[in-house]
Amino acid sequence: MLELRNLTVAIEDTTILDGIDLTLPEGELHVLLGPNGSGKSSLLATIMGLPPYRVVSGEILFDGSPINDLDLTARAELGIGLAYQRPPSLDGVSVRSFADALGAADRLDQEAAALDLTDFLSRDMNVGFSGGEIKRWEVLKLVLQDPRLLLFDEPESGVDLEHVIAVGDAIRRVVGAPDQKGRACSGLVITHTGLILNHVQADRAHIMKGGRILHSGDPQMLFGHIQSQGYTVPAA
Amino acid sequence: MADVAEREGQLTNEERDILHDVGFDDPQSRAATGVLADREMRIAMTTDPGVEILPLAEALRTYDFVQDLMFGLVSPEANEHVAMVAEHMHDPLGHFVWVKPGAKVKLPVQTFTLLETPQGRQFTHDITLIDEGAEVEMISGSAVPGSVHKGRHISIGECYMRPGSSCRSVSIEHWGDGMEVYSYGYSRMEAGARSQSTAIMMAAVGTHLSQSHSILEADTNAVSQAIIFAPEGTSRTIDTETHLTGAGAKSEDLARMVSAGGRIINNARLVGEAADTNGFLGCDGLKLTDRGEITAVPALQAISEGAMLSHEASVGMIDSEKLDYLMASGIEEDAARNLIVQGFLSLDDKAIPAGLRNRVVEMIAQAKSGGM
Repeated sequence: MLELRNLTVAIEDTTILDGIDLTLPEGELHVLLGPNGSGKSSLLATIMGLPPYRVVSGEILFDGSPINDLDLTARAELGIGLAYQRPPSLDGVSVRSFADALGAADRLDQEAAALDLTDFLSRDMNVGFSGGEIKRWEVLKLVLQDPRLLLFDEPESGVDLEHVIAVGDAIRRVVGAPDQKGRACSGLVITHTGLILNHVQADRAHIMKGGRILHSGDPQMLFGHIQSQGYTVPAA
Repeated sequence: MADVAEREGQLTNEERDILHDVGFDDPQSRAATGVLADREMRIAMTTDPGVEILPLAEALRTYDFVQDLMFGLVSPEANEHVAMVAEHMHDPLGHFVWVKPGAKVKLPVQTFTLLETPQGRQFTHDITLIDEGAEVEMISGSAVPGSVHKGRHISIGECYMRPGSSCRSVSIEHWGDGMEVYSYGYSRMEAGARSQSTAIMMAAVGTHLSQSHSILEADTNAVSQAIIFAPEGTSRTIDTETHLTGAGAKSEDLARMVSAGGRIINNARLVGEAADTNGFLGCDGLKLTDRGEITAVPALQAISEGAMLSHEASVGMIDSEKLDYLMASGIEEDAARNLIVQGFLSLDDKAIPAGLRNRVVEMIAQAKSGGM
């Protein structure tokens, strides 16, 4: 579904990501592990097409077609969606009016109930939300958007264990279920603490450091290695 | 019910449609209705004995006290426009609304001004008396037919809220895009009075100067919100001055301004003149294009030691991070901008009579899309 080929990305003249190769097949869930500043969030933002990230070289392929030149909305329309780590507050824009604008008003109540967010509907987006509420709302936002490639930027950061469980369950459910057209979905999840690995069934993990992917492999094995050896390449 | 259904003049269907856009509804569903068209009082009727509505000229002849209310809150020489209206007082034009002592009026009172003559000159003076302990909702609107885009309207409004009275009001204006409009409003709230007002200024107008001056006596509470829009070619100056003169007076004054190429100047002044007074000014502006300008000048003056006054002001363009966030969800850029602007202009709709809320929301959406 997603393929990154030798992707190098800069902000203005500063290289942020350097020669990234990554393949995420349809129906799989991958995690990105790495220390702060390793480029994990930049990678997701680049896939989404957010400014100010600029592809210097390499390709982003979605369903086999290059999307480097597509803008934000076009990528979202293709089926890419991003759950933000720290989304902006939108005063006066209620969850319900957002769903209306997205054309998803008819699914809102049912999907919100599934995520135990029915009391959110008249609230303004991200205004006064707690850390855990933001994470759950970002999952609901993706469900309403109905993308096939779901990107999660640190869905467990800054929340209590109860919310990690809820968000992990939600991620497992939305990535595991087909989209509204019955097509399989894929997910790419950034985790800093690794806690989310206890609640999702990840197929593969990638260690990032210094804007590069150092190593890819089994998620539990890599996380165990990081706990004992830090963000290094495991011995063969 | 001696006052019921007096002077129910005829409105054409076109006039009803024009007024409907600024809040008009069937007079039988209102406690009282006043409609002034050009220089004629077309409707002055009530369905509730707790309210009286009369053409101002008749009110002056009917009740001695009205002459004391007239120019009771403003000098006839206050400025050249007020003086101009005062000069026309040999034949005064305007509404007199009296909500009787203790009346708990269930249906809204509605008053409207229509200017139907192209290049017309209209000078009006409205007086509202909400008597002791009375409670009322008021809807007022100003409008022109689509064919009228030039003309001049000058209005004076004087509102007296007697002790313990309560009023929730909304005013909507829809003038012509080349008109000059000068409106001067004065109010006095006596002990314990409560007021909640909403002003909607969304339609294009050539030049609009709106000045208001309020006096809040002891234990009064006034909350006001204004939604102000200026498309290209529109210039609005909104001056408000609120004096907290009695202990325990509270005031909250919020203005949301959007320029789509027009000019908005908002001068808001809050004066704390007594102990235990509390006031807040909020002036926020959003510019949608590189053209036009917004100036927000909140001013606080604490005269009494116990006056607690504060303000917030901001002016800026649409936050690109918010725009990107919505676009990354699959919402087209124009729709995302509309959603943000709509949110910025969102009203505390509990402050608007229920039957009017959807109309006001539609009007805001229409104005932003250039439909007004």
